Amino acid sequence: MFGFAMAAMAPALVISRMISPRKSSNPVKFLPMECGQVPTGEGRTHFMMQYYPYILMFVVFDVMAIFLYAWGSSLLYLPKSATLPMIGFLGIMFGAMSFALYQSGRRRIW
Amino acid sequence: MSVIAPQFKLSEFIKSLLDNAFWILFLMVLVGLPALMIVLFVIELPVIDGELLTPFLAFTAIVDPTRILPVIHALMATDIFRVAVFPGFGFAALLAAGTIFAERKLLAKMQLRVGPFYCGKIEGILQLMGDGLKLISKEIIIPAKADKPLFWAAPVLFVATAAAFVSLIPVAPGWVVADIDMGLITVFAVIGFFPIITILSAWSANSKYPFIGGIRALFQMVSFEIPLILSLLGVVMLTGTLNLSEIVESQSTFPWIVFLPIGAIVFFITMLAELERIPFDLPEAESEIVAGWLTEFSGMMYGLVQLGTYLKLYAFAALFVVLFLGGWHGPMVVPPFPTEILTEGIVMGPVTAQIPGLPLFTQDMLNGTFWFVLKTVAVIFFILLPRGVFPRIRVDMLLSLGWTKLIGLCFVNIFIALGLLYAGVLGPGGLQ
Repeated sequence: MFGFAMAAMAPALVISRMISPRKSSNPVKFLPMECGQVPTGEGRTHFMMQYYPYILMFVVFDVMAIFLYAWGSSLLYLPKSATLPMIGFLGIMFGAMSFALYQSGRRRIW
Repeated sequence: MSVIAPQFKLSEFIKSLLDNAFWILFLMVLVGLPALMIVLFVIELPVIDGELLTPFLAFTAIVDPTRILPVIHALMATDIFRVAVFPGFGFAALLAAGTIFAERKLLAKMQLRVGPFYCGKIEGILQLMGDGLKLISKEIIIPAKADKPLFWAAPVLFVATAAAFVSLIPVAPGWVVADIDMGLITVFAVIGFFPIITILSAWSANSKYPFIGGIRALFQMVSFEIPLILSLLGVVMLTGTLNLSEIVESQSTFPWIVFLPIGAIVFFITMLAELERIPFDLPEAESEIVAGWLTEFSGMMYGLVQLGTYLKLYAFAALFVVLFLGGWHGPMVVPPFPTEILTEGIVMGPVTAQIPGLPLFTQDMLNGTFWFVLKTVAVIFFILLPRGVFPRIRVDMLLSLGWTKLIGLCFVNIFIALGLLYAGVLGPGGLQ
């Protein structure tokens, strides 16, 4: 389906390129859009570190959340005693997440 | 520097080609067909199966249902039909087009406007087609210093990823493009591609507004991915499978929204955020950063991104239906196929037509598709509704909502599911 959509949609761009007018009259036309101003400086600027902790947290907790699926999908076939360690794991995850959120809230260290 | 044809224009070239094709067809109808008849009159043709073999038998085979229906059956069983037409691309694109039209009219009615009105006589129903024609004939402007291969690839990749998402959705019993055992995990994997494509296209444009929009999109999608994953864990715990078709099968008596309303609400909110819709449309905030990460797209590239967005909207709504609303299950409303057509054929006055391969679709499939489309349209309506009602929220509010409140609710949802399971309400020996 991915390949089909690629094969079906790429011709749309090609056809559009064929039937649309193409005039390179003015170099200003190809400047990046900045509401009429002539842009200054780099387009790919540095961005703020303020929300960087969320990316770090994502890397850790996304994997942990996917691990939970291995447990969740086989829960019906496991003995009930196997749930206790999982609840422990959930507790660790919850605690770690609260701590990380607390750290990410401290703006001064970022 | 001399050019062979300085006045050459590809559009006029194509027009001349089409003109030539038209005249060839016209002359063939007026001259060629009579000449062919004369030749056939002279030449003696063989008789096969009591029928004279003529080239016109091909036309007969096309309109004869007893010959063309087996071909249609064989076509419908192929993968290419599933990918291109029914549970796949064509079906999803049709629903997406309907969504765009309904969204415009609905939003206009909420704001006391009329919306698209003139194109297509009836309430502007052809407006989308007009927009598509306009977009495809617009010039594509690529900013100087942009990373051209990435910039060209981004819209196509976006549509293709949305289509890959659509292919995982089971529409009716047995009607799914890709029936994978790890269906839900695959859904998460496909969703994970959207922020990458967004940030790549934003980076490649070499412009400031797309870059800001791309960074915002990255933060937003990444922050809401964990609530999204955790909110669906309850369903997986209760069904014990990751296959989407089996998850639908497990809801034949009760949809899971009855038992897991918190998970459904959390999933709906994260869905709004992943789709970049109001109140979470920070990446495309048109009043702050021109059009967010779509700023530099022009012409058909913008059209493709919009198509991908609405395919994604359909896929998310369908995922909600599959996981929480029971998918194709519903009371049987489609009448059974009349058996006298099978036994006696269709009687039209003196003529009786015996058509062997007739029920093209089974009753189950039609009924399932009907309920699935009805539920999906209802969910899409609730996705569209906030756009006319809510303002946009700030980015720190968004992050704190996603990381604290929604994840907390997800844990509550997991414990509700565990409680239901161990109290014996659901699971083996329970209701289902």
